[in-house]
Amino acid sequence: MDWLTKLMSLDRRYIFLFVAIGTALPILFPIGFKVSITPPVRNIYDKVESLGPEDVVMFSFDYGPSTSPENDPMADATLRHCLSRGIKVIVIALYPVGGVTMADQSLSRVLADFPQVRRGIDYVHLGYKSGSQATMKQMGESMAAVFPTDRYGTPLEEIPLMKRVRNYDDMRLVVSFATGIIGEWWANLINAQFHVPIAVGCTAVSAPKYYAYLNSGQMIGLLGGLKGASEYEKLLIDHYPDARATYDRAGLYTAIKGMDAQTVIHTVILVFIILGNVAFLAGRGKR
Amino acid sequence: MRFLRLQMPLMLTALAGLIPIVAFFMSPDVEWSQWLKDRLERYMVIIASFAILLGVVNVVQSNVRKIERRQKGWPYGATLLFGMLAMATIGILGSFRVGPFQGIGYTPDGGRTPFQWGAEFVFSPLQATMFALLAFFMASAAFRAFRARNLEATILLVAAGVVMLGRIPFGESILGGRPYLAKFTEWLMDWPNAAAQRGIMIGAALGAASLSLRVIVGIERSFLGLEKNE
Repeated sequence: MDWLTKLMSLDRRYIFLFVAIGTALPILFPIGFKVSITPPVRNIYDKVESLGPEDVVMFSFDYGPSTSPENDPMADATLRHCLSRGIKVIVIALYPVGGVTMADQSLSRVLADFPQVRRGIDYVHLGYKSGSQATMKQMGESMAAVFPTDRYGTPLEEIPLMKRVRNYDDMRLVVSFATGIIGEWWANLINAQFHVPIAVGCTAVSAPKYYAYLNSGQMIGLLGGLKGASEYEKLLIDHYPDARATYDRAGLYTAIKGMDAQTVIHTVILVFIILGNVAFLAGRGKR
Repeated sequence: MRFLRLQMPLMLTALAGLIPIVAFFMSPDVEWSQWLKDRLERYMVIIASFAILLGVVNVVQSNVRKIERRQKGWPYGATLLFGMLAMATIGILGSFRVGPFQGIGYTPDGGRTPFQWGAEFVFSPLQATMFALLAFFMASAAFRAFRARNLEATILLVAAGVVMLGRIPFGESILGGRPYLAKFTEWLMDWPNAAAQRGIMIGAALGAASLSLRVIVGIERSFLGLEKNE
């Protein structure tokens, strides 16, 4: 058996081994690659920068634990950015398989660094509601009709922040962290009908489809996968000294740290693709 | 009987389809159309919840059948049913606040209810594990399937290679820190990719619109589950 045949019929367990090592090593020994900023991420950052304490931003947690390594850092970073600027935040979850747990966990991670932020005044967590498209449309008429109470059972009319938020008209931005189609509905349904600015943070694998909405102006920006999240973290670190201290903390999972593993894995996969093609083309040349 | 099985569902479907369209084109000042639209949207939220029940019935039926016939992988079916039953029981007991099951989220003192504990420490790690396995299979599949067999496959291969490199800092490093690959990746995403995506979306939207129209006017009846001659 010559080397070509050996390479063509490489046992996939060797590939698995390389992927495992390529993931584990950068996590254990961070490399710290440079992060460059792309326009879709910069646009979201600039939009949040243009808002202040009198403005309201809604965060929709439309993903589950399966994609949390990609979506968690972007949710944490944008939430951190809004709270740093004193922007009022509404949190909801529309993804049935764990969305509300993701929202709980993100809030608890970020709020630990903002002891001055008060529930009901600076932020409100409305929990999960089923119905997806119907729910999203109805929020355009009345938030209270969809969420009569918050996550902790407090009636909406007793929550100071919600007294001035009736529907999308009272929000300056909606950010959806999405793993499936819910992110698209925010762009093609809610932006189209209610004209509220939409930003989406999605997994890298679903990022391509959002570029159509981005180009048409139905979305103001896009956080595509771990790369998008790492860019947002970089912007925060560069402009907010407190954020630098937070992201330098040992033991905190961040997109910038995750990008080390992603860089190595992409390179490993590319090397395997090149090797596979070299063997394929050489084999074809021989025949 | 025919009225209940055919005519009434068709009338309901036509009404449910027409009301939002009519309301969309009418002025918000027209009260009756807005009232109807609001009602319908509220009913949609409730009806959507029933879809979960339909899903549960379907999962139970197919897995019970699998277990009864001892089909390949039946122990997985049994595990699925056990997990679903356990979480549903804890969730329902929590909703009615029975005994130690006080709610389905966090307790007022910040502790976890049994349902929340199951979601965080059983469900979340299991789902994350399933998705993490994809990295291994994708690497293996890319090695075997991504071959420059013809011109189209070669274009796809080169585009994928550029995007993979453009999305990681290493792509910049190999070009001496200049972001050419990242910029080319953004161009690929902004133009050829967006054009193709838009084509797919417009095609799918036209298909959905024509199917909706067929359902509203009663031409498409397969959703009623009728026999061929009914």
